[in-house]
Amino acid sequence: MSNKISHSTLSFTLVITGAPYSSQAPQTALFFARAAVAAGHRIDRVFLYGDGVHLASALASPPSDEPNWSRQWCEFLNQNAVPGVACIASALRRGIVDEREQKRYELGANNIAAPFSIAGLGEWVEGVARSDRVIYFHGGS
Amino acid sequence: MKTLVIMNQAPYGDWSGREALDMAFSLAAFDQPVALLFTGDGVNWLRREQEAAAISQKAVDRNLAAATIFGVTALYADQQSCHRFGLDQHTMIAGITLADTNAGLLGEYDHVISLS
Repeated sequence: MSNKISHSTLSFTLVITGAPYSSQAPQTALFFARAAVAAGHRIDRVFLYGDGVHLASALASPPSDEPNWSRQWCEFLNQNAVPGVACIASALRRGIVDEREQKRYELGANNIAAPFSIAGLGEWVEGVARSDRVIYFHGGS
Repeated sequence: MKTLVIMNQAPYGDWSGREALDMAFSLAAFDQPVALLFTGDGVNWLRREQEAAAISQKAVDRNLAAATIFGVTALYADQQSCHRFGLDQHTMIAGITLADTNAGLLGEYDHVISLS
């Protein structure tokens, strides 16, 4: 059984609900994603939910001697052509906004980091229905 | 693909329960089978006559009363937790199935989610 799993290719949806710099969730998820891709598996989608949407902010500016998790995640998504989606309800409540939502709510700015996009929970539902595994990375308490 | 969403935090003090509930309603909206399990502090979601307006929040009990209308297949409450918090059929909203949180119950689902 363990042989079968290690030799077959799996598809994953990753759900990140912990924010960077207040939890390790985005970092752990990134290391998992790199290892999964290196082992020949596929990441279907990364879905940011709850506090996890802060990872999609283009404005996070940690000190230069600390990792920039938003930037590292964006590089991973670009290099591997993996869609990164922030839940719209979670994002709007927390001030993560793209150009379309900026116009809709007449806000002064937008701040989503490309290639992240903003969409509904339907994206997560599709992951639940289609990916072989859905893995959750929580902030913990 | 059957999903069980576990609610184990008390309402209002923490946003994760509300977001877990949104996940359950979203699955139901896309015709994916989903049930809710309230356990630990989470059984307090089921208490009747909550007055959340006093803390500028929306009451959650009315939301839950509509869950089955939106397609959630079942609302389970952990029996021991209900006992611990003094909840019975008179103090809980209608339509709740008492259950024991054990491997038998969880094993009925392909996908078990807890946000905290």
